[in-house]
Amino acid sequence: MTVAEPAQRRLPGLARLRSGGRDGRPSTAQGRRDTRTGLALVAPALLFVGVFALFPLGFGVYISLTNWPLVGPYQLIGLANYYALLHDSVFLQSILFTLKYTGIVTIPIFVVGYALAVFVRANRPGSTVFRTMIFLPYIVGLVTESYMAVVELQPTSGTVNYVLSKLGLVSDTTAWLVHTGLAMTAISILVVWFYSGFAMMLLMAGMQGIPQEIYESARVDGASWWAAERRLTVPLLRRWIALSLIISVVGSFLAFNQFFIMTDGGPGTSTVTVVMSIYDTAFAQMDVGLASAMSVVLVIVVGLITFVQFRFLQRDGD
Amino acid sequence: MAAVRSRRDQAGTPGASRGQDAGRSQRASRSGGRGASARAPGGRTASSRGLGWFIAAGVAISAVFVLPLVWEIFRSLEPESAVASAPSGQSFSHLTFANYQTLLSGQDDIIRNVVNSLVVAVLAAVLTSLVAVLAGYGFALFRFRGSGLAFGLVLLAFMIPFQAVLTPLFLELHFLHLLNSLLGLALFNTTFNLPIGVYVMRNSFLQVPRELVDAARVDGASVPTTLLSVLRPLVLPGIATTALYAFLFSWTEFLGALSFLTNDDLFTLPVALSNVETGTYGAVNYGLLLAGAVIAMIPCVIVYVALQRYYVRGLVSGALKG
Repeated sequence: MTVAEPAQRRLPGLARLRSGGRDGRPSTAQGRRDTRTGLALVAPALLFVGVFALFPLGFGVYISLTNWPLVGPYQLIGLANYYALLHDSVFLQSILFTLKYTGIVTIPIFVVGYALAVFVRANRPGSTVFRTMIFLPYIVGLVTESYMAVVELQPTSGTVNYVLSKLGLVSDTTAWLVHTGLAMTAISILVVWFYSGFAMMLLMAGMQGIPQEIYESARVDGASWWAAERRLTVPLLRRWIALSLIISVVGSFLAFNQFFIMTDGGPGTSTVTVVMSIYDTAFAQMDVGLASAMSVVLVIVVGLITFVQFRFLQRDGD
Repeated sequence: MAAVRSRRDQAGTPGASRGQDAGRSQRASRSGGRGASARAPGGRTASSRGLGWFIAAGVAISAVFVLPLVWEIFRSLEPESAVASAPSGQSFSHLTFANYQTLLSGQDDIIRNVVNSLVVAVLAAVLTSLVAVLAGYGFALFRFRGSGLAFGLVLLAFMIPFQAVLTPLFLELHFLHLLNSLLGLALFNTTFNLPIGVYVMRNSFLQVPRELVDAARVDGASVPTTLLSVLRPLVLPGIATTALYAFLFSWTEFLGALSFLTNDDLFTLPVALSNVETGTYGAVNYGLLLAGAVIAMIPCVIVYVALQRYYVRGLVSGALKG
């Protein structure tokens, strides 16, 4: 702002124009023009978000109160879909399964991501290259990597069994993707490998925002590296830790791709996630009303997870 | 947070956003002189022996993340029979492009799927950038009633998981005749990339010196002229970030494409690969699946490695929003 002042002094009119707009009360012609132009500029974005995100959200709530089939007429049936959900064992099981999966992968992703961030955060020779390499699995995407994993997890022909059986850890004929526990193990390892680079990038950005001077004075005071990390970095990083946990927990709760591709929910329905359950109800069973009720539950659960984590980690952060 | 902020002010960082900080250190590390910035947050100056260990450990860790992907490139060059049977020492003595040839020729070639993916990703990248530039310009440089509310609404879309509006969106696209349409899928991808795009672009425009905008206005430049000739060069990095995000998101997007496209001819590459996986076109062929996955991987790697500084910049800028 200080830089702008000479210009204002030279052009007294300009200051008036700008103060007219600033308090949001367009008192001048320029101010009114600003309002018109501003609204026109943001209108396309509002249109997109309104039409393809906000409207479907409200529309979904409405559909959840109907017995809407994918084709044909429908009628309002109140909360019947929600009552049906209470007895929908596949859906309830999918919630439990997704929570369990989220519980399994969250801590490893965070711990690995944090350790990697500590490793690459300083600008030493090579650290940029290492960051790029570690982040690569995230860029390539879980869909592509799930296809690769399907091939490599095949019994007798996959690389995973080849390596592990040479090490004497598993039998060469282990069929990873047809046993619930084994499939969960394989998918969890894949996801931690895929995702920890992303957690690393976020946490590293936060760490780089902490001024060096704090560490220097801590060192002068005789604090060990570990003490500085625990007493300084972690508290100062609170907001970034919250963010990385929220993104990873919500992402895990919305899991679909890796399970659809690698197990298709099987064996039986033992690895059906919430989103897969919605997808199946809508597009295979063609019960759009019920699927929308599931979606509403999903939005609420995701909102709650975000809220609780945010409150928990922000509690004494501000 | 208050503690962090005041500490930062004491440290004399002149009003820079953290996004800039990270961007700067990113640059610093590329020109990375050994002495200049070889200090860890722990404050220890790396001795040359320490540096040797750092690089050795870095190579080992990088290998964990990159080798599996490189390995799959080799595997995709094996003949199908080698992919489908027990690995052996001779696996790599017969490298061949046979899987790629099969995949890219014949009746059910995946070239059209690659083209579909490209069309959707490029369209989404262009649309997202265009809409985000306009909105970012409006939010950053025009004060108007409802501006805060409008910005909040755009960011709200960030909170809505697209997985949760899948079914109503399916019906809506059906009514709009945008189901089974690459344009419809691109519009969907655009919408869910807009929040981050608008956020990045608003920050870009906020960093433009205010007097430049005012000078253009005093000179009587119209809004489009100001945007195209005065501001464009200054916000190009932001546009690159936005376009890159939308492109990578769309190129790897699966659930939306799976739900909104039912015509095989319109499938994007990731969806087409699920047909290869389940052997819709005959027997399951893992050689083909690997070759297809590698084809899906290559553009991501090239685009990312070429433009990664924009990606990291956006990551930090987007994350700041909290």
